[in-house]
Amino acid sequence: MATIATSAAIHHALVLDRQELAPGVVVLGFDAPALVRVTRPGQFVMAIPPSGELAATALGIYEASGNRASVMFFVVGKRTAELAALRAGDHIELTGPLGNGFTLDNVRNVAIVAGGVGIASVLLPAQALTRAGARVRLYYGARTNALLVDHDRFTSEGCELHAATDDGSMGHAGYITDLLSQTNDLPDMILACGPTPMLRVVARIAEERNIAAQLSLEETFACGVGGCWGCVVPLVRTSKQAPSFPPAQRNGSDVVYARVCKEGPVFWAHELRW
Amino acid sequence: MVDLRGVDLGVKIGKLELPYPTFMGSGCYGSGEEFASFVDLARIGAVVLKSVTRLPRLGNPTPRLVHTPAGMLNAIGLQNPGIDWYLEQEVAKFASRPCAIVGSVAGFSVDDYAYVSERLATRDEIDALEVNVSCPNVASEGETFACDPKLTAKVVRAVRATTDKTLIVKLSPNVTDIASIAREAEAAGADALAVINTVRGMAIDVDRWQPRLGNVTGGLSGPAIRPIAVLAVYEVARAVTIPIVGQGGIETTSDALEFFLAGASAISIGTANFTDPQIPLRIIEELAQYLRLRNLGSLAKIVGKANVGFSNPYQYEGDEG
Ligand SMILES: Cc1cc2nc3c(=O)[nH]c(=O)nc-3n(C[C@H](O)[C@H](O)[C@H](O)COP(=O)(O)O)c2cc1C
Ligand code: FES
Repeated sequence: MATIATSAAIHHALVLDRQELAPGVVVLGFDAPALVRVTRPGQFVMAIPPSGELAATALGIYEASGNRASVMFFVVGKRTAELAALRAGDHIELTGPLGNGFTLDNVRNVAIVAGGVGIASVLLPAQALTRAGARVRLYYGARTNALLVDHDRFTSEGCELHAATDDGSMGHAGYITDLLSQTNDLPDMILACGPTPMLRVVARIAEERNIAAQLSLEETFACGVGGCWGCVVPLVRTSKQAPSFPPAQRNGSDVVYARVCKEGPVFWAHELRW
Repeated sequence: MVDLRGVDLGVKIGKLELPYPTFMGSGCYGSGEEFASFVDLARIGAVVLKSVTRLPRLGNPTPRLVHTPAGMLNAIGLQNPGIDWYLEQEVAKFASRPCAIVGSVAGFSVDDYAYVSERLATRDEIDALEVNVSCPNVASEGETFACDPKLTAKVVRAVRATTDKTLIVKLSPNVTDIASIAREAEAAGADALAVINTVRGMAIDVDRWQPRLGNVTGGLSGPAIRPIAVLAVYEVARAVTIPIVGQGGIETTSDALEFFLAGASAISIGTANFTDPQIPLRIIEELAQYLRLRNLGSLAKIVGKANVGFSNPYQYEGDEG
């Protein structure tokens, strides 16, 4: 996996644009050239609440080019509603980039699996890989076609699109992982971001087919920067991503807890013990 | 240095002298390193490190965090590498921090506390020790120490015997009479008291019919506990003469002032760093401003000023008992 970020800063950014791509799915674009310069695909920011009253929100970095970076999120509660109320001309404060990001070296033929707004964390790796000449297939699932937002952004980058919706309004009617498990044209790497049940299925398929898979996990965060050990996930003790801790056998355990915000959010599927 | 324009925010806690009266709460701020690329550590006072124990601890099962109204529950379970590894691999890194470093000691027996304290205190990188007798998130006798005045005294005496370094004892709010425990800690040799640790709490998932935390119960922090914390500081300040590091839900300068006025000499900020890591810096600047506007040259002038006791000058006979 990529090395751990040390370039995080607090960015006081001007909101440049706000789009509602589908009901409840918001993209906020903001002016943050210093963030763009150091962002790697798969990293995230912590958005400081404008009211100063709620915990900060972890958001994957959706786009990053030139002066402009953006985040995409589903409005699910007070914290995201507060962010969704921002308009061009407002300011937003963000800490980032945070986390490790995807490892994209030597990837030639990749399947990217995205569920819902998990799509927010995979545009940057898709762009990096298509631009490096890799074959990129996007497996993109959502409840309904209106929520398969921005799929054309990926096809215009040269990605092959495989879509699934729960209601069959676009692509396969069912889970996106159905499509992944049916293919015999195997990729050499899987990248995935989305709901945990989807990630578990992706991990199982990757294991059965013997394909390396990188999963971008979601957890409840407090600090988002590695300071509180609240967001951990169990890893095999031998993982290179395990935090530098002493042998855990003393506790009779063959797992160690790694921080999703610091050692992750991207983990090798075969090293997770969840 | 922030421009405090003639206002003295300095505090002396035991032998520990700080230019600013702010600590970053144990378990909330890593070792400071995690925040260093975006917060100037020279401007925050002190970092209290994550509590360390004699043996490595894997920590509690997940989930370990739940956001709740005006706060959060945590049940980390003292995940830490144990004192041996800590001294070998971690402590040397603290030398380069431009702020004071307070080591935090946790344990499961009087002997554990003494052992870890003695080893930690040998290191120059550690400026002071905080004794966490009040972690609510460990199985078995989690809070036995902080809930029992006699046991608290035993732990503090044992730790006191191992070091001359400044000793801060962190008290639990999950007790009937925090003042009596504070008195025991002072008598046993504590230089200061940290008041309060988290308040025990629980949240339940109504779809899955399960507790939300892997550990079932957790510790509540953030603004939700602030009035509990202010009262605890108020009561402890009346019971002891040693300085108090007030904490529990401090997010704004006005919150911080409540603690100083209740009797705290310094404050600690934990959960608020999760909202905005710039909060401690803002509070320091605004405290100076508050004092300047009132022509007060130092923070010490307001400590305990709202601690007027419980007596009511107008009473009926029946009000007495
Ligand atoms: C995630 C988390 C982890 C904590 N870990 C510790 C710990 O290891 N040792 C300790 O003494 N207190 C620990 N605390 C308690 C805090 O240091 C602080 O006393 C408490 O949260 C109240 O202050 P606050 O509301 O400003 O956070 C922890 C608190 C949180 C939220
Ligand atoms: S959220 Fe604090 S360590 Fe990850």
